[in-house]
Amino acid sequence: MLYFTCNPGKEATFLIQYPRIMVILLPIIVMLLTAVTLFVMRFVRPNFKYPWMLAIGGATLALIAVFFWHLHMPQSISLAPWQPATLFSFSPTWLADGTSWPYALSLAALAAAVIWTSIVREENDPAAWAGVLLLTALGILAVAAENPLTLILAWSAIDLAELLAMLRSTEGEERSRGVVIAFAARVTGTLLVIWVNLISIGHGNPIDFTAIPASAGIYLLIAAGLRLGIFPLHLPYRKENVLRRGFGTSLRLISAAASLSLLARIPASALQSSLLPVLLILAALAALYAAWMWLRASDEIIGRPFWVLGMASLAVAASLHGNPTGSIGWGVMLVLGGGLLFLFSARQRNIIWLPLLSLWGLSALPFSATATAWEAGNHVSWLYIVPFLPAQALLMTGVIRHALHPGETSLESQERWTKFLYPNGLFLLAGIMLLLGIWGWNGAQRIGLVWAAIVADFLAAGFTALALTVMIRLAPLSTTSQWTRIFRLDWVYNTLAAVYEFFYRIAEIITSSLEGEGGLLWSLLLLALLLSIFSTQAH
Amino acid sequence: MSAPFLWIFLPFILAGILSLLRNQKVITLIACIFTLLLTLAAWLLPLDTVMTIGGWSFKLTSSLNILGRRLVLGPADLSLLALIYGSAVVWFVAASVTKSARRLNSLGLAIVALLVAALAVEPFLYAALLIEMAVLLSVPLLFTPGKYPGKGLIRFLIFQTLAMPFILFSGWLLAGIDANPGNLGLVQQAAILIALGFTFLLAIFPFHSWIPLLTEESSPITVGFILWMFPTVALFFGLGFLDHYSWLRDAPALNNILTTVGLLMVVSGGILAAFQKHLGRIMGYAVIMETGFSILTINLAKSVGLNLFLTLLIPRTLCLVVWALSLNIFKGHSPSLLLNDIKGLVRTFPFATSGLVLANLALAGMPLLAGFPSHQAIWGGLATSSYSIVIWALVGSLGLFFSAVRVMTAFSAAPEGAHWESHETVAQRVLLSIGFIALFLLGLFPQWVLPLWTKLPAIFSHLGQ
Repeated sequence: MLYFTCNPGKEATFLIQYPRIMVILLPIIVMLLTAVTLFVMRFVRPNFKYPWMLAIGGATLALIAVFFWHLHMPQSISLAPWQPATLFSFSPTWLADGTSWPYALSLAALAAAVIWTSIVREENDPAAWAGVLLLTALGILAVAAENPLTLILAWSAIDLAELLAMLRSTEGEERSRGVVIAFAARVTGTLLVIWVNLISIGHGNPIDFTAIPASAGIYLLIAAGLRLGIFPLHLPYRKENVLRRGFGTSLRLISAAASLSLLARIPASALQSSLLPVLLILAALAALYAAWMWLRASDEIIGRPFWVLGMASLAVAASLHGNPTGSIGWGVMLVLGGGLLFLFSARQRNIIWLPLLSLWGLSALPFSATATAWEAGNHVSWLYIVPFLPAQALLMTGVIRHALHPGETSLESQERWTKFLYPNGLFLLAGIMLLLGIWGWNGAQRIGLVWAAIVADFLAAGFTALALTVMIRLAPLSTTSQWTRIFRLDWVYNTLAAVYEFFYRIAEIITSSLEGEGGLLWSLLLLALLLSIFSTQAH
Repeated sequence: MSAPFLWIFLPFILAGILSLLRNQKVITLIACIFTLLLTLAAWLLPLDTVMTIGGWSFKLTSSLNILGRRLVLGPADLSLLALIYGSAVVWFVAASVTKSARRLNSLGLAIVALLVAALAVEPFLYAALLIEMAVLLSVPLLFTPGKYPGKGLIRFLIFQTLAMPFILFSGWLLAGIDANPGNLGLVQQAAILIALGFTFLLAIFPFHSWIPLLTEESSPITVGFILWMFPTVALFFGLGFLDHYSWLRDAPALNNILTTVGLLMVVSGGILAAFQKHLGRIMGYAVIMETGFSILTINLAKSVGLNLFLTLLIPRTLCLVVWALSLNIFKGHSPSLLLNDIKGLVRTFPFATSGLVLANLALAGMPLLAGFPSHQAIWGGLATSSYSIVIWALVGSLGLFFSAVRVMTAFSAAPEGAHWESHETVAQRVLLSIGFIALFLLGLFPQWVLPLWTKLPAIFSHLGQ
């Protein structure tokens, strides 16, 4: 059973049982139905000629459906609550509001663009398109989550899907281990959200995004940072060339957006911690390192993890400045700007302006999607913004550098209809990016902190001049370089392995004692010991 | 006809007949259908009411006198019978795609009947004898023909047998307490004997060593069945004690003891699972951890705790069945269940590896999977009383999660160029797929199993209030 209310965060003034137009779930239902149809057709009618038409139809309809959210915003929709109510005070709930809408729109646009532009790539597998739609549906479920438990359910679904997809496509022991470690790191972030929820329950109320306790915000932020690889800075995937343009881009960007959406729900009032400056410094380090590596990467796909890390660090920084709207700006640009560049595989001189449009979105200038990026909502000094400006500039320079590469294929060699559809697919992302600067959410039509934007843009211009003259002669940084090894946290894993080995020996001693020939006697001895401890406590 | 005859004697007799048959398919079919009918009967038939089917009238009476003792299965017990026999159906169906089906279906049915009798017998001290009989019947089930009985099997026999005298003695002393309630010395002695009896029965640390040993040396599906059946019945038996004796229920030290014992099992089970190199042993430690969680729930606010205790049962059954079935598949194809010997199996046994990992993650409390709602509720319940307790409980769950990560790492360590193929049979694939779907559905909609246990608290007249 579904419940529908137009008054989230307060006592429901009216509670209407379904049926009613479920605008929140509409894009998700469309995507899931399309994905299922694609899967079924693949098995039932392998010679079906129009899977691409079906996929693009579903994706475009879903994108349009996200616009329908604006008909009734904010509004929420809940599944039947978990029962019995004495044990569970939870029902999976999704909220369409100014926070979730830009993310949902970006993700739906990305899915449409991935399928739209797949015509120029050799990605004709309907299962891959179905996977993109399925992942996007999960991503929208995550970004629209109304409470932490709904969010962690969506996160877990994305994590398991990513684990499955990565293990399917990864070769070799070491890389597979990286996939599992990445999964474990993300689940640890999820565990932190569970912990925050338990703290809130301990205080008498399960946590809700509409009322996050002051002590909980910092944990939620660290949880998102942990999932994104920022706190601590780590890069579990060594190489990014396994899943290339289409599905790989969706997987990376949706997973990141799902984690970033949590930042958008943390109000400035919930970030009252002495840890803020430390976290800002760590985020700045991550941003600078990732932005530098992004710029130096040999191509945009190799640099993709650094793009995600760099943009996510900027979003975390905005959140640490008590500016959740700013974090949304960076988050949607991570998806739209990244998608635009990563899907730009077939190149031609006359469409080079398309990926460069994302520079506008990244500029933080007034009326851009990131206009609010450097505003501050708490008492943290503006000086903490300074280290992030070069990072922003390096990311912008990286976009220019990678956009100017020759690319995988040439668009000129493609068929005529492809030449028409492909740029339109790319423009979809650019158009949404421009739209978000002026309409539809809290961060639209904003002026922002103009001086910071101008400094960053001048820096970007300077870096670009350097990149196109000096840096072009430098060899691209290897993903196995010393810095990468350090930031991949191999040293942490080695230390943990040593600690594990130590405890393993202790566990081995206990196990062999209890299971050995004298195990029965050891058990009785331990029992006597425990009983004596109990009786001492009782006295 | 009486209810004890229908749910105790009839399955016991059928188990005897099944053990004489040779054809595994026939045995499986008969056992599954019969157990399913018993489940439906427990779910649908009323007790002590005249029913007319066609021209034939009959009444199921709730008690049966035998050798001067009574076996009582009242209307409140029917939901418990449905749960036990329903779970047995799941185990028998899962076993049908393994080589252990013949022994598990016949002996398993007899064990279930005996353990139901243990819950039904009055005076209750005879339950210890019935449990001991079930333990003895488990020996041929766990014994591998052609091999010497392993250390785990012998220790299982020793520890479960040691429980019997303690419970018998406690029953004798409790009769004395009924006559003379003011005798504090007697109360204390009885409490200690009960505690010791359940320490052996529930494999409480440090008497848990038979579990990992047994999971290492016997067929996973049969061990899984034993590890599900015995602790479940022992926990219900223990709750029956608490429900029956108010002095025990209200004892001031009870809360501390239950918390300490529960935490000890959760933490030791979880942490030791993290260091295991044998897949079977990890399952064994997960069972220890789950028993610990059940004990912790008893300590939570009375009716909430009981509800939580019951909420754990169905996800646990499902997880153990999927886990044991997956292990059984590996056992038939891998030199051993050591992590070194199962490297890269995800490419050749994708269903079994997924089943094992998902079951492991579910019992660790991973969101989206069957174990999460109940574990989340337990953690929440513990958080309201003490953060330190919930931290320790989370440490245990993290240990089990870590073991899942290690297992995943081993499964995925395939050499470059290894092809993806499925070596499971179609039946195994189908059963495991059903298991996956159920794991996810129970993780998302725990309320769907609510009707299965809403009536269960009624079997405890005091704890259920």
